[in-house]
Amino acid sequence: MTLLQMKGISKRFGSLVANDGIDLSVNSGEIHALMGENGAGKSTLMNILYGLLKPDAGEIRIDGKAMDFASPLGAIAAGVGMVHQTFRQFPDLTVWENLVFQNEPGQGPFVSAAAARDVVRQLGEKHGLEIDPDSRVRDLAVGIRQRLEILKALSRQAKVLILDEPTAVLTPQERDSLFTAMRHLASKGMALILVTHKIPEVIAVTDEITVMRDGRVSGTLTTRETSEAEIIRAMVGRNVPPTVATKVTSTAQPMLSVRNLSVRRGGVAVVDDVSFDVRPGEIVGIAGVSGNGQPQLISAVAGLEASTGEVVIAGRNVSGLSIADRRAVGISYVPEDRHLTGTAPAASIAENIAFGTHRTAAVARYGFLRKQAIRTQAHKLIEQFKVKAASEQVPIGSLSGGNMQKVVIAREIEHGSPLIVIEEPTRGVDVGAIEFIHKTLIAERDKGRAILVVSSDLTELLALSDRILVMFEGRIDASLSGKDMNEATIGRWMMGGAAGA
Amino acid sequence: MTGVGLETRSRFAAILLSIVVAVVLGGLVVLSTGANPISVYQEIVRGALLGRGLDETLSRSVPLIGMGLAAAIAFRAGLINLGGDGQMLVGGLAAALVALYVPAPGAVRAVLALMAAICAGGLYAWIAAVLQLGLAIPFLITSLLLSYIARGVTSYLVRYPLRDPSTGMPETYRVASAARLPNSIFDLPISVGMLIMAAVAVAVIVNDKHGVNGFEWRMTGLNPRFAGYSGTNLQRQTQRVAFLSGALAGLVGALLILGQQYRFTDGALLAPGYTWSGLMAAVLAMASPIATVVTAAFFAALQVGGFSMERALGLPAVLTWVLQALIILCLAARPVFFKRR
Repeated sequence: MTLLQMKGISKRFGSLVANDGIDLSVNSGEIHALMGENGAGKSTLMNILYGLLKPDAGEIRIDGKAMDFASPLGAIAAGVGMVHQTFRQFPDLTVWENLVFQNEPGQGPFVSAAAARDVVRQLGEKHGLEIDPDSRVRDLAVGIRQRLEILKALSRQAKVLILDEPTAVLTPQERDSLFTAMRHLASKGMALILVTHKIPEVIAVTDEITVMRDGRVSGTLTTRETSEAEIIRAMVGRNVPPTVATKVTSTAQPMLSVRNLSVRRGGVAVVDDVSFDVRPGEIVGIAGVSGNGQPQLISAVAGLEASTGEVVIAGRNVSGLSIADRRAVGISYVPEDRHLTGTAPAASIAENIAFGTHRTAAVARYGFLRKQAIRTQAHKLIEQFKVKAASEQVPIGSLSGGNMQKVVIAREIEHGSPLIVIEEPTRGVDVGAIEFIHKTLIAERDKGRAILVVSSDLTELLALSDRILVMFEGRIDASLSGKDMNEATIGRWMMGGAAGA
Repeated sequence: MTGVGLETRSRFAAILLSIVVAVVLGGLVVLSTGANPISVYQEIVRGALLGRGLDETLSRSVPLIGMGLAAAIAFRAGLINLGGDGQMLVGGLAAALVALYVPAPGAVRAVLALMAAICAGGLYAWIAAVLQLGLAIPFLITSLLLSYIARGVTSYLVRYPLRDPSTGMPETYRVASAARLPNSIFDLPISVGMLIMAAVAVAVIVNDKHGVNGFEWRMTGLNPRFAGYSGTNLQRQTQRVAFLSGALAGLVGALLILGQQYRFTDGALLAPGYTWSGLMAAVLAMASPIATVVTAAFFAALQVGGFSMERALGLPAVLTWVLQALIILCLAARPVFFKRR
């Protein structure tokens, strides 16, 4: 039985056609994957379904009834729930307070805590999503917080549940239990929409697949009858072989040596006495569930965060040096968030490339910028990295995620530093760009650079890394290579190692 | 066509549209008082641009452009300097003190007075920067509050220790003619103040467009995290930008004292509201120095035209302030006009 039907949905933003006559129908009891590269129009479509955007044309039917949502409140009332990528929660309130917010049981102005706790317990038992109603949300693991988001939707009688990239922050074990819960919800007659980039997940858990490209539906597939290659073809319009680097073992003198590094935040060691080396000609990956100190470790290495212990780059102790001096000694750094840290989105591509080396002779002379040289260099990198951009003068923020990331990586590689530190090389990046970025990193490794990669995507780490370090609660307890470098082993160490080791 | 070109062009169109709408709305205000809006606008234009009006407009442009650029420099680098009044006051007082009491030949005294004003205004703004960096008190707030302190202290000084008892006003002695800045060079209607301000404006514009420092400031304003990550020493930069912004405000104070008022009179520097008109010009120009200069000159013409219109028609000059505010309001409203969901 068709529970949700979206027909001929179109939405324009100025001259950009984000959705062009999209059809999507999901049956009750079905898990439906919505796939596509960045900028394909998935978010627009889901925002329309959730009442955040109004379509220019097309209709939405739930249970056969035509819907016209003025806001998410209308969508929620009609039975649409959404688990956002970044949780909409009050971290300082308890689970039950978060759950009943805007929907409080009780009389008049008074909230009945007992009734609210019952709601949490009953829903949890019914769907296998138990949470202690009285724990503080900020103390919970990410997987549990996600569970709360799902419960929140269920408590509002959601029939259609949208999950936006739900596994991005989960360990393999948490991911598996999420999939179990999704299966259970589908068996109760709900319709689930899984928005994701990750093909293995789609194969593992979904029934039907809708693939979007350039604002149109480029493929509707049935999971049982399709293959990875077919999905990829629908997404990018060509076959992409998975890039897996040939593993190497480097024995050169370390380019980066970290010794007894600690970062303290309000008395807590978020990075706790960490030591490791990265050698020229190898890629070292850092795995770990988010929130275990990876960004702080990288910030401390790059010089953005105060730390104790030693950081040695190319044989020189840089522990006391500023960011600028560390860069001069030989570190390039691609930060996790390209909008927040990696670029000034409103500035042009050329300016974003020049910034950071703007005090060197290549970019400036006698205190004045060499505008022509800056443009030429930017133009060269745009060609070399196949960045899709009208010109080097357009604001970098107008590029798609993948193209923006290519520019950031191009800039950092262009610095020619022997050590490259890169966080989340392909987060929010489309398949075509992922392949390009991976090949570029492997090529740089083969040229003899030392590369340190942090990623929340295990498949990516396994494909790229020659060695993987696993972070847990600020420590690095495991350095895995060869046969030990597999999903199951890494997953155990990500959970603290004790459980299965 | 590049995205940058498009943005600049639509900005320009938006400013023009805002001016047109403001003029129409202002016309309605005039109409409601029973006067003829056409003759009011005619009188404003005539008064601002013809005959002595043009001289007036030019000389009013000097402090307005100065305060506009002082605000724009800071905006560009992500600082909001609301303390122009205070920086102008300490600059003006420093200039007056040096011009009155330093025993040196007249021209030397004038140069020293200008330098003292630059340092005083700069240091006064720098205090606010240090408070932000050291104690996390927002620059926006301290710079504003420091103005009240400057106002109180300068007011006390000119009422008591520095007062010229021969006048009935709370003011210092008059600066000797030799230490004043000439109002006319080679009998042309160009003052030394105009030349100095023109040089400052060119320097600010060139630095913004072509200078390495200007580039660094602008990128910091766009994204301070990115600037820090790219190796910019943000603490040092904040102090420098604050100093320069305050120094320019201090310079404006000195130019007013040495070129127009010749003595520090309590309240006289602040009465025309240069700081706020300058801030408005910088906001309207979205901190682009060249657009700030144009906008500030436009505001100067509007204000001068307003006074002339008041004399000719008996309608209050406040109308031009209403126009100025209406333009800003229309422009601020612009994103909502065009935003579609």
